Amino acid sequence: MVTVLGWLAAVAIVVGLAMGFGMAPREVTQGNVQRIMYLHVPAVWVAYLAFTVGFVASVVYLARRREAADRLAHAACEVGTVFLGVNIATGAIWGKPTWGTWWTWDARLTSVAVVFVMFLAYLLLRQAVEDRERGARYAAVLGIVAALNIPLVHFSVYWWRTLHQPPSLLKPGASTMPPIILAALLVNFGALAILGAYFIARRARVLAGEAEAMA
Amino acid sequence: MPDNWGFVAAAYGLAAVVFGGYWRWLRGRERELAALRAGRTIRSHPPSRTAHPRPEPGSRAPLQ
Repeated sequence: MVTVLGWLAAVAIVVGLAMGFGMAPREVTQGNVQRIMYLHVPAVWVAYLAFTVGFVASVVYLARRREAADRLAHAACEVGTVFLGVNIATGAIWGKPTWGTWWTWDARLTSVAVVFVMFLAYLLLRQAVEDRERGARYAAVLGIVAALNIPLVHFSVYWWRTLHQPPSLLKPGASTMPPIILAALLVNFGALAILGAYFIARRARVLAGEAEAMA
Repeated sequence: MPDNWGFVAAAYGLAAVVFGGYWRWLRGRERELAALRAGRTIRSHPPSRTAHPRPEPGSRAPLQ
């Protein structure tokens, strides 16, 4: 099942690249650098989804103390951190030619950096606490608190004056994007979502194997 | 506006390195676990002192 998901992700990524570079047109105002958006935007959506999975699994772990829920939370938060790192790095690469700067401490960038650091702390906490059960409990609480910041990141562009543009899709009302650009964005989101699911499944399997080896 | 293809290549290249690196790290962990399991299987069946796969002569049951 995990292997099938991996091959599916590989095929979907190839289709996504073909859509982003072959079918989607050159954007009028930004030029071809806008094609970074087919990676930058889906990466943050997958990170949000992974952190949501981590949030639900952490709540389940605290309520039921099921080790499988803890392993899922660990895997989802780790994979979410990887995708959020890609989102931040590709945003900086896009920002330099478009805004003239790699980074600025505006509300969206600062809030997303805070969430990234919180999930790095989550992963460090997992390593730092020797007692496995206690570490899982602390990590679940931190995972829940960190995931609660995601709405803050999303709405920061409305609540404060920022350099970052407001969302083009995750907002009330119809999208103003040309259909082909929207299609390329959604196909790439699908591809990265399958890749994220594959990573989470594989990481959870490794964690189960490690728990078995330590027993 | 210029196309800035170098920035596009940098963004996609970086993503490829990060995702590829994570995939390789996961594969490495799986291989370590597989090696650990294999080691445990070997330890649970210790080899004979002569390193011969058959049981040592003294421990063999007499022929009927």
